[in-house]
Amino acid sequence: MNGHVKNMHFQQFMETAATLLSLLLLMTVDSTKTVALSTNQQCGTLLQQTLKITRIVHKESGDLIKTYKAAQGEMSELFCKVSVNDIPDPNISGLDPPARIASIYTHLQAFLPHFKRVYKQQTDLQSPGSPLLKELTRVWGRTESLASFMNTFYQSLFPNLPIPEPAGGPTTLPPAQNVFQQKVYGCVVLKTYKDFMSNVSKELRILKSKVCMKRTPINAF
Amino acid sequence: MVSAAVLHLWVLAWLASVLAAEDDYHLVIAPQSPVVQIGSNLTAICMINNTTEVTADDLYWKLSEIIPKEHYIKINSSALNVTVTIRSEKSEWLFCSCKTESHYVVLNRGKFTHGIWLRKGYRPEKPKNLSCIAVQESETISSNIKCQWEAVGHQTEAVPTNYTLFIRQTGDKIYTASILGPVNKTTVDLNLFPHHMELEIWVVAQNELGKEESEHLIKLANCFVKTKPPSVAVISEAVFPTSLVMSWNSSIDKRYLETIYEIRFCPLGSQKWFYVPLADTSRYIQSFRLQNLQPDTVYVTQVRCKYNNNNKHCGYWSDWSSNVTERTPEDLPKSKPDVWIITSEEGLNKRQIEFICKDPEFSNGRIRRFNITIEKQKDSIRNGTWEIIPVNRSLTDGSSSKKQITPLKTITLDDEESVTVYVTAINSVGASPQAKLIISRKTREPPAVEKTEVQSHNGQLFLSWKPPNRTVSEYVVEWVSDGERNWQRENGKKNYTAIKGDLKQFVQYRISVYPIYGKLVGKPVLERAYFEQGVPSQGPIVNLSGDPGCYTAKLEWDEIPLIKRRGFITNYTIYYRSGTETRGITVPANTTSYTLTSLSRNTKYDIWIKASTIRGSVNGSNHSFTTLKYAPGEIEGIVVGVSLGFLFVVLMTMLLCFCKKDVIKDNFWPQIPNPGDSTIGNWSPDYPLKAEAPRENCLSGISVLNVDVCDAKCVFEEDKASLPLKKDKYLSEEHSSGIGGSSCMSSPRQSVSDSDEGGDMADTTASTIQYSSVVASSGYKGQNPSSLPQQSIFSRSESTQPLLDCEENHDTMVQEGSRQCFLRQPCFTHNAGNENATDSNDFNPLEMKQQEVLDFCPLEEDTEHTAPADCQSDDWIPAPVSSYMPQLGGYRPQ
Repeated sequence: MNGHVKNMHFQQFMETAATLLSLLLLMTVDSTKTVALSTNQQCGTLLQQTLKITRIVHKESGDLIKTYKAAQGEMSELFCKVSVNDIPDPNISGLDPPARIASIYTHLQAFLPHFKRVYKQQTDLQSPGSPLLKELTRVWGRTESLASFMNTFYQSLFPNLPIPEPAGGPTTLPPAQNVFQQKVYGCVVLKTYKDFMSNVSKELRILKSKVCMKRTPINAF
Repeated sequence: MVSAAVLHLWVLAWLASVLAAEDDYHLVIAPQSPVVQIGSNLTAICMINNTTEVTADDLYWKLSEIIPKEHYIKINSSALNVTVTIRSEKSEWLFCSCKTESHYVVLNRGKFTHGIWLRKGYRPEKPKNLSCIAVQESETISSNIKCQWEAVGHQTEAVPTNYTLFIRQTGDKIYTASILGPVNKTTVDLNLFPHHMELEIWVVAQNELGKEESEHLIKLANCFVKTKPPSVAVISEAVFPTSLVMSWNSSIDKRYLETIYEIRFCPLGSQKWFYVPLADTSRYIQSFRLQNLQPDTVYVTQVRCKYNNNNKHCGYWSDWSSNVTERTPEDLPKSKPDVWIITSEEGLNKRQIEFICKDPEFSNGRIRRFNITIEKQKDSIRNGTWEIIPVNRSLTDGSSSKKQITPLKTITLDDEESVTVYVTAINSVGASPQAKLIISRKTREPPAVEKTEVQSHNGQLFLSWKPPNRTVSEYVVEWVSDGERNWQRENGKKNYTAIKGDLKQFVQYRISVYPIYGKLVGKPVLERAYFEQGVPSQGPIVNLSGDPGCYTAKLEWDEIPLIKRRGFITNYTIYYRSGTETRGITVPANTTSYTLTSLSRNTKYDIWIKASTIRGSVNGSNHSFTTLKYAPGEIEGIVVGVSLGFLFVVLMTMLLCFCKKDVIKDNFWPQIPNPGDSTIGNWSPDYPLKAEAPRENCLSGISVLNVDVCDAKCVFEEDKASLPLKKDKYLSEEHSSGIGGSSCMSSPRQSVSDSDEGGDMADTTASTIQYSSVVASSGYKGQNPSSLPQQSIFSRSESTQPLLDCEENHDTMVQEGSRQCFLRQPCFTHNAGNENATDSNDFNPLEMKQQEVLDFCPLEEDTEHTAPADCQSDDWIPAPVSSYMPQLGGYRPQ
């Protein structure tokens, strides 16, 4: 009898515990869904903003090349076909989204010294009010903003992953150049940058579907 | 309590440090030069330093005036506290002074006074309504963001508020711009406009009394953008007469800013815009089709854009694009043409009717022609022949808001005839529905409306009427002015309307209301009205009707021409002015002539007429005229009157003369006694009788004048003095006397009178004597011719009877003997011309005797001159010779 009673009490306890556990589980799942939903929205917004800024930079880099070619005189079309060393690769590296986003960020950082050098070279070649310098400044500044935004985006997406700085330390710049070399260098930098921005746009479109949809399980668990 | 103690300690510590630095001053205030908030309490301590001359009881505080002691708190014997409420905005000094008048204090007054400069201000308040904008420059958005806010609260010059604008961009990059003073806007340069990035913007107001921060604006940067309007193009498609296709290019690249649009359109000339619902255009589109438009109508279109933030209200609308106009294609006329008539009398029992027409309200294209057919009522069947009336009108005429009126046809109609007219309008696409109008017999015209009334109100001209008893299908309200004619149709149930035409100010309109019964035109009722009255632009020109009279003048003037009348004339005022006096007479508006009365004769008048309307009045031109001095016929009357009077006098005189001829004859031509009958003739023995033949013009009577010789002498003496002055007169008088003396017919009285006046003889008796006759005072001398010359008595006779020869002789004798002079009147002439005068001796009595006529010679000047020579007697002063020959003794001494 006692044993039966004990069994009955235990059974009742177990039922109550199971009910509470179920309820708790249900609440946990529900809250997780809410967090995932809000996180997804934030991801999508940030990615969308990043994509829009990238498109602007891509557009402005294309305009810049046109202006650059127009400002360099004859044979400007040929300048951009010459290969130059020590220019960042326009391709995005990395296997997973965090790596690829970090690659975008590091590439952007890597291009900044080149912009600075091209700007300095073109300052000597162009008049102060030249549209080229103005556009160059704009793309340079936009790149800085994009890099900054990419950093923010990365940290918001992957708060536990530190963003890597450009590999191998500071960007190496080519040695002193003559005017022709400067023109070729500038064109190659701008063209490479434009290609890079084109790649970034494509990458972000891909990431939009990959990251913002798949992040829910990553962050949730 | 603890905080108060801490405060005291702090103050004392501070005072200690201050006192160490300011040993020279015996009074020190803490705190030094504070910034105080207006409306708050200020507590200050005054500390006595290095002296025992005064104590805290001797101190007092002064702000703008001495602070009452109730505000003091004595800390100890050397420290006095004061608490005051700061009320005024003006910065001022707070003094702590000593009221003790000891020698030391007096000598060191400066050391016993200390002041602090109170800078007053307000604590800044939270700025409100922060807003920022970034405008488009060329193809990109400016990097400058202009922000403005509402600065709440007050600030003073002493404590200004500094505003700092903060803009934080994504990535924690912060841009700031600070501005000091009472301003509420500033601009921040972001170097590059951060499209698609979030901006956080706020403004901080800060001064020495505190710091306040506005609400933070957190928006995407594009939400602050105001772009340029898009460039728009509009095209029409012939197959869609009721639509237009709009297309535009965004002013900024979509990658920078994705925009939504708003479209509005209106018919050309309309003031009312139609807006396309935002739901149809709130997305990034670059074309839109406007539908349900009127065919053949020019539309004006505009587009504006704004940042599209997923349909969230964000950003600023751009300005509207510039107008783009396009005409929709033509379509079939959808309504009837508006046919109407102009009726005028044409001879006896005939009317001339002109059919005119306006394009259909929905002509849907340019009307190329009208087709008209007129059917007489007696013809039961329409003949079906259509007359084509081409319309030659330019495209611009058709686009005018005012409907063009096309004259169709004019017919002459008997009063007993009625016709029906049918009209259609044709455009390039086709014909309109048919319009119909019936003109009835004149004698059987349907009744007119009643009690029409026109009034202008709120910029419109309203016409009301009382409908006739019959059912009216519609009314036609027609208005005509200056040859311009227009009409409008109103529903038959209405009894008033506002005239929709483009009425002009100051123009008189003749407004008619025609009731239309079915299609039958009823009798019209005419009213005259002004849309707005004004002052006439010209006054009436006044003229005189005929010539003015002495006291009246008839004025005439013409009515002011209708175009210059500019309103209904309420009255005329006639002004007429003579000199400075102006009078006015007001006459009714229907008067065109007036007769001025009560004018003055021979006076110049300026006249003018003032024409008045309800809006004012204007003076006409001046006209001047002068009233007559004499009325017509007045002179003639006077002349006739005077003539008649004169004639009457003459007649009366003649009549009197005739009636009283005997009396006159007796007076003027008295009966001269015949000397022959005189007994005295017998007493002159020396004279023959024949010599006494009577003369016709002889003295009628004899009076005797006793002349006192001395008197004459005195008179001579007196007259000598006044001789030069009277000489001329005497001369003339002498001439006169001479004339008188030359003829017995002349008036001797006159001569004598003149002489008397000149000589002032004052002998009235003498003055009435005409001639002197000599009468021997002592009887007849002829009886004693040998006697000595004796004083004779001279008497004067008024008779004009010529002297007898015997008298002349006697005279001669007197001259020779007694040398007595008998003067009829004094002789004053002594001029040089008389020096050659004939001596009285020239007077030859013998010759006179031979003539047997005692000639009364005129006394010439020579004669006058001789008188004194003749009067050389001792007792006789030379006296002027009488104008007449001295008549010496009438009778020769016997």
